[in-house]
Amino acid sequence: MSDNSIMVRSIPALAVMGAAGLIIAQYFIWIYAPVEATMGIMQKIFYFHLPMAWWGLICFFVVFCASLVFLISKNPFMDRLSQAAAEMGLLYSALALATGSLWARAAWNTWWTWDPRLSTTLVMWFIYAGYLALRQSIDNPQKMRAVSAVLGVVAFLNVPLVFLSARMWRSIHPAVFGSKGGGLEPEMMTTVLVCIVAWGILTSGILFYRLRQLDIKDRVKNLFIF
Amino acid sequence: MLNIRFLCLTVKDLKLIFSDGSGIIQPVLLGLILVFVFSLSTPIGEEVTAQAAASIFWLATSFALILVFNTLYSMEETNQARTGLLLSPMPLQHVWVSKALTGMLLLLLAQLFFFPAIIVFLGQENMAGWWTLLGVILLVDWGLVAVGSLLGAVSQGHAARDSLLSVVIFPLLIPLLLAGIRMGAHLLGGADDENLGAWGGIAFSFGAVFTGAAIVLFPFIYNEY
Repeated sequence: MSDNSIMVRSIPALAVMGAAGLIIAQYFIWIYAPVEATMGIMQKIFYFHLPMAWWGLICFFVVFCASLVFLISKNPFMDRLSQAAAEMGLLYSALALATGSLWARAAWNTWWTWDPRLSTTLVMWFIYAGYLALRQSIDNPQKMRAVSAVLGVVAFLNVPLVFLSARMWRSIHPAVFGSKGGGLEPEMMTTVLVCIVAWGILTSGILFYRLRQLDIKDRVKNLFIF
Repeated sequence: MLNIRFLCLTVKDLKLIFSDGSGIIQPVLLGLILVFVFSLSTPIGEEVTAQAAASIFWLATSFALILVFNTLYSMEETNQARTGLLLSPMPLQHVWVSKALTGMLLLLLAQLFFFPAIIVFLGQENMAGWWTLLGVILLVDWGLVAVGSLLGAVSQGHAARDSLLSVVIFPLLIPLLLAGIRMGAHLLGGADDENLGAWGGIAFSFGAVFTGAAIVLFPFIYNEY
């Protein structure tokens, strides 16, 4: 990745747009969206929880795609993209789990419940934490990249099975985007979409920034090797 | 004609494992200790539920899986013969199949010891359908060895390979273990599960998905770097 690449130049713009998006999202969350009748103010957690859960899963999907491309092309950029996306996915899924736990306490009077979405997020968190631990523990960079890419592929192949098995175990999670709108008021739905877009822009900015860091780190490392 | 050259590798591994026995004694002992320790968690006079017993059985099997595949993949490394395997005139996938088959046999052998332990220490005497039980064990073991043989080679050359492999493999196994626990609980005399066929489907899908993935991806892991 060169200094002149579009990606590097887009980092400041994405950061500013992400910050502005999050400020606008606060207006939607606290002023525009109505207070939910049953849960009251605690329901606002949902506007943080859902975008993080979604973007976490999207980051893991990016790891899968980048790993697949790496195995075919051996392009180190794809390996760096996998690492950056795995880190972001891990952070977002941790925040989604924390906010989900707060929601569960307020809504269901329990900190944790065996729910397909929560359980899938937790299992994915464990898998990608293992993925990052594996990356750090292999000294040979070529082997590390290949092995990580394989794990990045098989980890995502597991998602449907984890979700299905967790759903068959038992579920009490509300359907947000169900066939009939999942029971959300139109104002709430608009707020959710604004939050998802704002977090998406910020996620892209941070992802590109981390990619840039990893690129520089590799270049510095190569300076010392040769 | 079916190419069975990989069986040479299986026979070689089994001979090496049984020459000193340590490769099978360790997983069996660890599994038995786990069953015994979990039996202590039940208050005197109370029964262990079928679901808890099935969970302990599959947990013991999972730990045995880690030890079995670490042993299987470290044999070539210890004897510095891995390059020989890479140079041998057979596809790398045969190494995966061979290790998976050897792992399956060793895991079944370990489970032969775990089963009486489940009956004795956890008081599970109401088992129904021995053939179905054997079928469930084979189905779940298929998925276990598919993942174990694929990722067993990952941690080779690493000082803390047991813990590294556990961290990588255990989360991947969760859907399969849930299926094994539910089907096992049913066959150990627990409550009827209307989703029994669906759990079998999950275990089958897991085995099929990871077998397919392993056939494609194993050469990337086992190649020389």
